[in-house]
Amino acid sequence: MKTVIDNKTQLSFQSPTFSERLKGMLGVDFYRLFHTPLYYIFLGIAAIIPAMLIAMTGMTGPNGEPSAPLFTNVWQAIAAATPIYGFEGIEKYANMNMVFIFGGIMVSIFIGHDYKSGYVKQLFTTHAKKQDYMISKTISCAFAMACMCGTYLLGAIVAGAITQTDFSVNFGNLVCAIVGKTVMSLGWASLYTFLNIIFRKYFGVSIASSFFFGTGILIIGIGSLVGNTPILNVFLYGASVYACLGSNIVTIVVCMLTSAAWTVIYNVLGTAILYKSDVY
Amino acid sequence: MQAINAIEIRNLSKNFGEKQAVVGLNMSVPMGAIYGFIGENGSGKSTTEKMICGLLRPSGGQIKLFGKDYTDADVRAKIGVLIESPGCFPNCTVWENMMLQAANLSVPNAEREVVEALKTVRMEGAASNKYKNCSLGMKQRIGIAMALLGNPNLLVLDEPINGLDADGMRIMREVLTEITKTRACTVLVSSHILGELEKIATHYGIIRGGRMLREMTAAELEADCRTYIALQAKEQQRAKALLSCRYARVEEDEKGYIRVYDAKKPEELVTYLYENGVLISEIKTDKIGLEEYYIDLMNGKEGR
Repeated sequence: MKTVIDNKTQLSFQSPTFSERLKGMLGVDFYRLFHTPLYYIFLGIAAIIPAMLIAMTGMTGPNGEPSAPLFTNVWQAIAAATPIYGFEGIEKYANMNMVFIFGGIMVSIFIGHDYKSGYVKQLFTTHAKKQDYMISKTISCAFAMACMCGTYLLGAIVAGAITQTDFSVNFGNLVCAIVGKTVMSLGWASLYTFLNIIFRKYFGVSIASSFFFGTGILIIGIGSLVGNTPILNVFLYGASVYACLGSNIVTIVVCMLTSAAWTVIYNVLGTAILYKSDVY
Repeated sequence: MQAINAIEIRNLSKNFGEKQAVVGLNMSVPMGAIYGFIGENGSGKSTTEKMICGLLRPSGGQIKLFGKDYTDADVRAKIGVLIESPGCFPNCTVWENMMLQAANLSVPNAEREVVEALKTVRMEGAASNKYKNCSLGMKQRIGIAMALLGNPNLLVLDEPINGLDADGMRIMREVLTEITKTRACTVLVSSHILGELEKIATHYGIIRGGRMLREMTAAELEADCRTYIALQAKEQQRAKALLSCRYARVEEDEKGYIRVYDAKKPEELVTYLYENGVLISEIKTDKIGLEEYYIDLMNGKEGR
């Protein structure tokens, strides 16, 4: 039994190292992720979206006439044939990039719950540093979105098989496109974490902002103005579009660089905001 | 060895826009103390506690915990907190919530510590309960158990006994007393329930309008809360008038007793009133408690 301390007792302090702190925080975030129905619902949504898009390909009109197919090839549901930054029809827009829209909503709900439940006050009153929180959220949410990319792919394949849609593709290019888009999950997750830090007191606004940025509407607008220029690859949506069915190893490198750069930027900014403002 | 306080606050201030929530607050909490932090709603208690906990950024001033800056990660590792209600996940069990917090704190031997903390707050039997199904009293105790993880040397508890029934308050009182005795822990606890606080606190800080009105030890409060003689007479108004002529401080309380603060013995009042033809029906010696002391202080009636 310890004795009651007095004001001359020498106390020794030792806080956990960065890796210990991050390990603990990631453990909590992943535990929560795997124990929340939200995660599985969004995995399901990610699988259903391509299935619906591909299923529409085989739909008939009211008089039984075949409708114009949205996709003639399954992999068009994964990525466009070429990077198109502006808007040239739903068939060139609706692909795996949509995962990042729904992923944004999932991240908003996930992080919003931290504030709603009061978990953050439990967290930030301890030794936890603000950058630990940003890093942990970014990694766990990036993982969740990468998994959504996986179920999206699965949904597309299953739906394609059922509807007997064409599967022909250059496999190497396809893999590069999928890897490129999956890599972008990290950058998108950091953006959504950042948005949720800014709008942490306004749950609805954080969801709306995630949706807004997730649609890539700003880059689509710029793309429409300046044309199809690869300069737009410096943005998250641009790099995500760049991962098309004509992708190669350069595409993966571009996606990695863009994703990593924005992850660093958003993490630094998010950490600064948390340090300079009231947390709860 | 230099004496250091668990909490040392100098000139602390916090503004929310135009509103000054805390203004030049000074506060010293010695190590090992149970520090009762008292103040009316909106007086700045929670704001001060949130600043100590690092949830709010001070607009000015200095907070030192164990002689170090309050943002120091080493120091923060030694703080346990319960602000308002515990930040738990409602669909997780008590055990899961505790283990998650232990993971956050990188607590070695997490399972053993969680068991120990739950035992300390008399919650070992409720570990498998879902948090959302726990009563308010249980939730508050879970919050304290969570705050105890990582063996903190300072506990900051904001209104932990609010809404608890009598039994819940008793358990909480026992738990807090036990924590300071067995865990080498300083406790900063705010509460409106002054009667409960009075039973456990060793030090007090009274805050008003964001400013520290008074800090004192329990012994100083005891000395300040002087005894008085309370009586009821057949002719209450006449007795009061007579006593007011002879004694400086005579008041009638809400129960209808006339209180005389500066009389030495009940006998002298009995004799004095009897000589003036007033018969006393009841007389007793009593002492003002923390609650009355606080109310008097708030009403500007100091120095009883």
